[in-house]
Amino acid sequence: MITLYDWELSANCYKVRLLMSILGLDHHAVPVDFYPGWEHKSAEFAKINPLGHIPVIDDDGYVLRDSHAILVYLAARYDKSGRWYPVDDPEVLGETASWLLFAEGTTNTASAARLYVNLGYDFDIDAVRAGAHRLFGVLDEHLWFREREGLDWVTSSPHPTIADLALFPDVALSEEGGVSREDYPALRRWTDRFRQIDGFTVMPGIFAPSRAAPPG
Amino acid sequence: MSGEAERRWHPVASQYDVVPRHVFWGRLLGRELAVWRADDGYVNVWENRCLHRGVRLSVGTNDGRELVCRYHGWRYASRTAGCTYIPAHPADAPARTICNRTFPALERYGLVWSGEEPDGEPPVLDALEPGGAFALRGVTVRAPAEMVVDALSRHRFSPTDLIGAAADGNGPGPGGPVTVTGQDRYHVVLRAESADGGSASTAVFFAQPADADRTVVRAVLAGRPAPDSRIPVWRHHNTALTQLRDAVEAEARRRPPPEPMVAAIEEVPIHLSEVPEPAPKGRRAGLRVQVARKWPVAEDVAGFELVSIAGQLPTFQPGAHIDVHLPNGLVRQYSLTNGPGELDRYRIGVKLEPDGGGGSRSLHENVRVGDVLAVSEPRNNFPLRRDAVRTVLVAGGIGITPLLAMAQALRHQGLDFELHVFARSEDHIAFAELIDGLGESVTRHIGLSPSETGAALESVLAGPGPHEHVYVCGPGPMLDAARRIAAAGGRTDDTVHFEYFANPTDIDDSTTFTVELARSALSLEVPAGATIMEVLRANGVEVSSSCETGACGTCRVAVLDGEPVHNDVYLNDTEKQQGGEMMVCVSRAGGDRLVLDI
Repeated sequence: MITLYDWELSANCYKVRLLMSILGLDHHAVPVDFYPGWEHKSAEFAKINPLGHIPVIDDDGYVLRDSHAILVYLAARYDKSGRWYPVDDPEVLGETASWLLFAEGTTNTASAARLYVNLGYDFDIDAVRAGAHRLFGVLDEHLWFREREGLDWVTSSPHPTIADLALFPDVALSEEGGVSREDYPALRRWTDRFRQIDGFTVMPGIFAPSRAAPPG
Repeated sequence: MSGEAERRWHPVASQYDVVPRHVFWGRLLGRELAVWRADDGYVNVWENRCLHRGVRLSVGTNDGRELVCRYHGWRYASRTAGCTYIPAHPADAPARTICNRTFPALERYGLVWSGEEPDGEPPVLDALEPGGAFALRGVTVRAPAEMVVDALSRHRFSPTDLIGAAADGNGPGPGGPVTVTGQDRYHVVLRAESADGGSASTAVFFAQPADADRTVVRAVLAGRPAPDSRIPVWRHHNTALTQLRDAVEAEARRRPPPEPMVAAIEEVPIHLSEVPEPAPKGRRAGLRVQVARKWPVAEDVAGFELVSIAGQLPTFQPGAHIDVHLPNGLVRQYSLTNGPGELDRYRIGVKLEPDGGGGSRSLHENVRVGDVLAVSEPRNNFPLRRDAVRTVLVAGGIGITPLLAMAQALRHQGLDFELHVFARSEDHIAFAELIDGLGESVTRHIGLSPSETGAALESVLAGPGPHEHVYVCGPGPMLDAARRIAAAGGRTDDTVHFEYFANPTDIDDSTTFTVELARSALSLEVPAGATIMEVLRANGVEVSSSCETGACGTCRVAVLDGEPVHNDVYLNDTEKQQGGEMMVCVSRAGGDRLVLDI
């Protein structure tokens, strides 16, 4: 059983819960009082992650920190389809790594704006919002051309990868940080598609997909 | 307030934006729009706020026929934006007047067009063939439209042929002159030629004034590129427009920001914020419809499709009926059989009753395709709850009609239901092809004797599950049997819903009594042989009505004091015992006095 050091409102913890839900993995969550308790900065938690970050997983004694590293590990180890992190496809793997780095950028901008609004973090709010809009503009244009190529996801794979998963929470939660998605129609369509993935799960601020009869 | 910008048609979205089951978030002249395509292809352009609590409809769900608000689940029909269901009030039919604001919409040149109060036609451009236009990626520019149009008049791009060559790896061909061949406040037509004059392309660049400081460039190329050069063409224009955007935005930042546009939010209509006046004139036929199709749908049953002569048909809910005013002066009620969001036409089924009063005979024999009929707006006295764990629909003969609308709504919403169709033979099942489309949920009971029907009902209505609701429509004896069996099986009145075709009750109208009207401060004598409704109308007190025989429930009023003799088949036994409501068309007083809340 995988143990997840978790905080429900963390977008990065949600990434891990989301992948475990999609892969059908059971887990045991250990809640960390991120706010207002700052438990992740406690001496006790430093024994688990000296960087003082969540999420961290403990998979039967194998301890790993950083959400994107955890996504790589879980997908490589547990995804029987081999599609979420396709280790045998160098091109898709390279693109996946590239977009995971891009997702670090959305964490530092869109997600930072959310921390500023929700938790009172001290960021230059105009700068982080502008940074988020710049990245969303790049992603929207990329996804628009992907659609024209008949592809639904950020990499050239016909299947979503952990890169889509890593990008989804910051995008879907952006309005909480005052970053509107009005000007990014392709990005909005991609979030609609992502929510239709089997095993999709929600967190506060992210809506469940509808259950109407399928088109046609 | 409407200036030129408000009276024009503007593009508000691209065809790429209105994909199935998605709600596009748009903006025009400072007003946010929710733009969505129903499964039947219809594109809706609505104000992007739910009239209930103001939440953006663009975060709602496009279920293919209706848009569902994310906040409280209010459902709005495609085409009308009328509310069809309020989950917090599952037993009630929402008032037809609950309606979000809609704007005109049409598609041309691969774009969706709308406007505040557009008059005339959207632009027809000689440069563009309606079927041969090729929409490019919309690019949002944070600058006023006039700056964008000015920059577009100096915009440069390569002819399509040369971009196609770039796809072969030969690099873009040498660019030539770009000339403005047309321009107004909101668009520029440009013709690009190659340096050698051997090829040329025309493109129209529309500037959508989203807001005072925000413009979306929606460009359309004349002629469709070959399939293998489409992506290079899209990329070429996207790159060129992105450069234009960056230059215009840099210039706009040097200028003082323009005054923001303020879209007027309409006041909530008076009919939603105040208690409505009673209907002024008894049975009204507010709509004129034309018979677009008439065809046999079963033995002795004719189907009619009715389309609007002018304007949009009003919203209906499953279970609703319309009054049809016939050429021979009779008025008859027919249930709408349409599925959710089907508002391009009303579809009814009419069973020929040779021994009836002549209503069905008139429709069967005299009404033809092309004829115009007066009908009422849809009225729903048989509302469908959607909070049941399971719904059981029981149809006898032509009683299928309201249940067919219900079954389609339940199926579309993915709710658990079963539909039992009782008919004399397969040939007597009306709208069989629609019923076939409901799949596994349908059970057919064909050619049963009365006792076999009773046995089948026993099995269908046996053992009520938790939160199960039953809806029955059919001939009187079948409804009576179903009522008895459901009660004996432990189903409560509030979970079993009936719709009668007619009221078989033998009414004793020999009594004389007084009705006191609490709100109108009137006291009226009802003589033998007259109905309360007749007396009310004779004294200028108007009440809504439809069937006027105690079957439909339209004329029900609250009873404040006195003991009514009900005589109707609309209220269930519990409601009749409570005595809180009655039908003024057939109900009378048990004593010498009734006090009514009108």
